[in-house]
Amino acid sequence: MGFLQLNVLNQPEPLPAVGIDLGTTNSLVAIWENGRPNVVRPEGDNGYVPSCVFFPTDGPPIVGKEARERAVFEPERTIFSIKRFMGRGLADVAADLKSMPFPASSGRNGVIEFDVRGRKLTPQEISALVLEKCGEVAARASGGRALAKAVITVPAYFDDAQRQATRDAARLAGIEVLRIVNEPTAASLAYGLDQKKQGNVAVYDLGGGTFDVSILAIEDGVFRVLATNGDTHLGGDDFDRMLVAVASTELSHSVDPRKLDEPAFLQGLRLAAEKCKIELSSYPEAEMHIQIPDSNAQWRRRFTREEFEALSRPLIERTLDSCRRALSDSKLDASQIDEVVLVGGVTRMPAVRAAVEQFFGRVPHTQLNPDEVVALGAAVQAHVLSGGTREVLLMDVTPLSLGLETVGGAMAKIILRNATIPCQATEGFTTYVDNQTAIDFNVLQGERELASDTRSLGRFRLSGIPPMPAGLARIAVRFHIDANGLLTVTAKEQSTGASAHIEVQPQNGLSEADVQRMLAAAYANAKDDFAARRVAELETELGTMLRATEKGLVDARSQLDRETILDIEDAMKSAREACSTRDAQVLQRARDAFEKATMPLAAVLMDNFAKKALTGKIIGEM
Amino acid sequence: MTPCPTCRAEATNPLVCTACGGLLSGDRAPTPFEVFGLVPALELDAAALKRRLLELSRRMHPDYFATADAATRELAERNTAELNLAYEVLADEPARADWLVKSLGGPDENQERKMPEAFLIEVLEWNEALEEARAADVGSSARAALANLARELGTRRDEALARLRAELEPTPERNSPRLVEARRQLNALRYVDRTLEEIRALEVGRPAART
Repeated sequence: MGFLQLNVLNQPEPLPAVGIDLGTTNSLVAIWENGRPNVVRPEGDNGYVPSCVFFPTDGPPIVGKEARERAVFEPERTIFSIKRFMGRGLADVAADLKSMPFPASSGRNGVIEFDVRGRKLTPQEISALVLEKCGEVAARASGGRALAKAVITVPAYFDDAQRQATRDAARLAGIEVLRIVNEPTAASLAYGLDQKKQGNVAVYDLGGGTFDVSILAIEDGVFRVLATNGDTHLGGDDFDRMLVAVASTELSHSVDPRKLDEPAFLQGLRLAAEKCKIELSSYPEAEMHIQIPDSNAQWRRRFTREEFEALSRPLIERTLDSCRRALSDSKLDASQIDEVVLVGGVTRMPAVRAAVEQFFGRVPHTQLNPDEVVALGAAVQAHVLSGGTREVLLMDVTPLSLGLETVGGAMAKIILRNATIPCQATEGFTTYVDNQTAIDFNVLQGERELASDTRSLGRFRLSGIPPMPAGLARIAVRFHIDANGLLTVTAKEQSTGASAHIEVQPQNGLSEADVQRMLAAAYANAKDDFAARRVAELETELGTMLRATEKGLVDARSQLDRETILDIEDAMKSAREACSTRDAQVLQRARDAFEKATMPLAAVLMDNFAKKALTGKIIGEM
Repeated sequence: MTPCPTCRAEATNPLVCTACGGLLSGDRAPTPFEVFGLVPALELDAAALKRRLLELSRRMHPDYFATADAATRELAERNTAELNLAYEVLADEPARADWLVKSLGGPDENQERKMPEAFLIEVLEWNEALEEARAADVGSSARAALANLARELGTRRDEALARLRAELEPTPERNSPRLVEARRQLNALRYVDRTLEEIRALEVGRPAART
């Protein structure tokens, strides 16, 4: 475990820039090596980092697989799907807050703050924990090399506030963001390189929490986005919620409704629903079950695929509405699309595939793993940005129109949606009273005519205007959307050439001072947190291994020889002892020894499992 | 154009030196036609324009300067934004015509807004058809009527474009009276395009508020 050694003199080189898919449900790191992008996987690990954070009663938070395992037993200490809160205000996420186990309030500039054991944590800080975990996984896979630079992907339909929040999260995690890239665009890159394709491509990306569709033209290595559309609040979570709603209704006949509304119970229901949903993609029927609160009984309910598809139909229709708009904006017909690429776990649902196929009139391309293609594309882009190749170029667009609020409360658009980025617009401002030295304006993003129907990116204050009679000042304000899709605003007084100062009061975003304060606080805690977190993770891992082994021994004892059983029982004993030491090295040794001792058992269990599966038993029932 | 400050080669593009690949920064923003090395004129080869866009993007896109110093990165952002803006103007015929009319001293859309009364009455009729369709259900006759209207507007658009070309080809002298007539055709086009846009929005549905 090279990365545990805090020996500064002996630290290995940091990793070359990687690609990170910071997902609603899972996050994944990929890297360019040996002429192609590869998912970063430590030995014996698929590399997936569930975007899930567990807060134990004491000690630092636990992130990723270990957090997800603990969530099953203690959902009231676990945060899922934090991405849905990035760059949003309380009013935007009322439905998501219901199943959040920690109370939320509105902090400075309308940033959501969760009260986690008396500590206020923003979505940015919680996402930073997930990104740090990604860094750990990458270090584990690479002999302790640090993750320093990355391309991070976001949904194409993310607005400026959501992109800023993502960038701030990376900064808090100590990662330099080379570029923020749109998820469907990254996917097209992985697809296009893999297939050496030319032509028009539609990327349909239905992830854990967000939906995007992008239409691209691929030509001689240039990946040019023609149009994008989507919904940053539509994803697998919403499909789960359809099943949760059925469960809540049916349970309400027998259980106290207050119990049903408890976040911990809702969280448990959500996990049960997710499991049922995934099974329904492979089997015509599946069962959802959950422990009824304050009772020994279980609630069980069989769903047929047909029933689930009927429940999800409105959600699928919403994705098709977005497809229709994107296609219309790209000025292409469905018949001119040469290939449809599916991205995101939810596209494994047969009903989704069928709907997409019908809409575009062609069978979607499914050769690439929909859960990995975004990270792979981000790794390609990281390679390009590091100067690795000039053969590839991404030309992306801004998903939403940018405008200014007029005196009458309307939105005056200055940059239209689907403009190729980087792009810019310059607007002239003047003063309307003598000696006025400042002007305020409200920057908006969205497609509707009324300012109140769009999203405010914040109040901008233009100050430092030299005093002069009203109407004489000529201030040119330049709005620039950069290659990350992020807005910067600069201003210049034209008659004097003085550059006026712009101060931004972000809406639902962190200020520079907030980020600096959080960084300072994190630095103070980092060393202690790091060791303590490793201990907690190893304890969790050992706990899981112990439970699995106990159960496995009951099932398979007769198939093992005496010596093997004794070895396993020895290893179990020292694992339990190690758990009381709180020493990472002891725990690590116990874990490795335990894994070695239980290998024969694992082999027998795998064998039994395969035999059972072959006799037609449904995996979900085992 | 002044020579490239890095390699002293004669500059052939205002944003990037095609000899050494260095990014250039001028005192004033280049015109869209200068960015693409074209003589200002309405007629233009769209396929060649797109090829040139991709070629220039490959020289100056910020992705290729990510490891450079902050000032160079900023220049790549700025110059690529100029390039993209120039392409947006040139790739769209009415936008290109609008730029030509203004640059030749012709009236802008606020200085010349007179439209024939018969035309304005027609516009009112289009708006009524739109309002009716908006209030009606999908599949109703009011919605079906929109498809006919869209076809009719397509023809009107072609006619206005033909008249616009007649005014701007060959390129008029500065302050020529033909520029006023060209502006009127552009105004007519704006009415037609706005209505077509509304019809399209009705067909594909409005985006949600506060996405």
